[in-house]
Amino acid sequence: MSAMLDVSNLSKIYTRGRFDRTPTFRLDADFSIEEPAIVGMMGPNGSGKTTLFELITGSNSPTSGKVEVCGRDIHRVRTDERDRLAIHYHQSYQVRHFRSLRPNALMQRAGSDYPLVHLFDEPQFNTQDGYIGFMLDFFRRLRAEGRLVFLCVHPNERFHLEILEEICERFIFVNKGVVTPLPDYAGLLAHEPARAYLGNLLTERAAALEPAA
Amino acid sequence: MALFEARNIHKRFGSRVVLENISLAFEEGQISGIMGPNGAGKSTCFHVLTGQHKPDRGEVLFDGQRISGLPPQRIARMGVSRSFQLMNLFDDTVVIENVMLALPAFRERRLKAMSAVFSDTALIDRALVVLDQVGLAVRAWDAAASLSYGDRRALEIAVALAAEPRILFLDEPTSGLGAEATRRLALLVRRLRERYTIVMIEHDMRFLFELADRISVIHWGQVIAEGTPAQLGDNKWVRRSALAEATHA
Repeated sequence: MSAMLDVSNLSKIYTRGRFDRTPTFRLDADFSIEEPAIVGMMGPNGSGKTTLFELITGSNSPTSGKVEVCGRDIHRVRTDERDRLAIHYHQSYQVRHFRSLRPNALMQRAGSDYPLVHLFDEPQFNTQDGYIGFMLDFFRRLRAEGRLVFLCVHPNERFHLEILEEICERFIFVNKGVVTPLPDYAGLLAHEPARAYLGNLLTERAAALEPAA
Repeated sequence: MALFEARNIHKRFGSRVVLENISLAFEEGQISGIMGPNGAGKSTCFHVLTGQHKPDRGEVLFDGQRISGLPPQRIARMGVSRSFQLMNLFDDTVVIENVMLALPAFRERRLKAMSAVFSDTALIDRALVVLDQVGLAVRAWDAAASLSYGDRRALEIAVALAAEPRILFLDEPTSGLGAEATRRLALLVRRLRERYTIVMIEHDMRFLFELADRISVIHWGQVIAEGTPAQLGDNKWVRRSALAEATHA
């Protein structure tokens, strides 16, 4: 049985230009998620989170390595069917255009009607309107139906951490192009770069959880 | 079986998925609500339900008959009526004329002169009945342009009712209305519920929670939650939100 998502020896290297091949940014990832899950993803701006999402959905091509969704190499699936395997819910609702050198007719079918991997890119969480509750229930439903959910959040308020702790079973921390999978919330908090990134939110949250003296 | 049903609706615009596998069911005699944040796909969903857009996959059924793919006028004649988000009334006429123009009896007469229309008492009586349903019978002979914003909304609903629908779709009925006009609209919708099956898209969550029998929450082009207002309100995060008051009302 193949993993829900297998990211193996994946790297994406951006260079200055076509002739000057000096690297300006490099993302490396190597991890596998066997079972349906809700995975929290975070990291500083510019660390490569969106690039990783784009590589997983196949809208961006890797320099080397590959991404397999339930055993299918996403970059070998017809471009018009890749979102039946992995779909990226953009913050801005923009959709990147797929570029491929191979015609669709020569590529594989997705073999799925409804996406297996759902990547949510910084959904708007607002405590005033109550939608958070509906969104979290939706993530749980997708997982219960056997799908893999990624939730990318840029925590800048305490309740963002509360959401991540409530719903995510595992985490991925992305920092300067380095992708680190972490087994659970405690693992996230034990990861030094993540602690540094969350900074004040952790101390505020600890203070809020402490019973009033 | 539900009076109106959408099954596994899928709609793309270019490479973007706008509606993903949407299924909805509206029961006869109920008020059904559709809510969701901006850009969630509510309006596209509405257009697919009432026939302005054709779904790429899935089907829409009214009273057991498949209506998706039929032209919108045909769907309207079958008893599916809708209001529009943009005000589309004839301002240079009187209130009653807006309703008369939308009556099936008028449309059957086609291009007969309006003078003849105004001497047709049966047509006038029918229009007055419709205006009375929205509380505007007393304003029948006033200039349409003289109506307040809230009364204009009521007149738009009357225009939709003139087609003698079995199900009435309202697209963001509270948009642009102040608190008092919204309160009056709520009373009107509650009264219409006795006579029509109603579906409304609305982003005013309090309005919807107060009126609807069932609500479907649409986000990312999908139904992310549905249930009665009480069921939807029974959620930790909803209880923490400003909506909590409305759900306990």
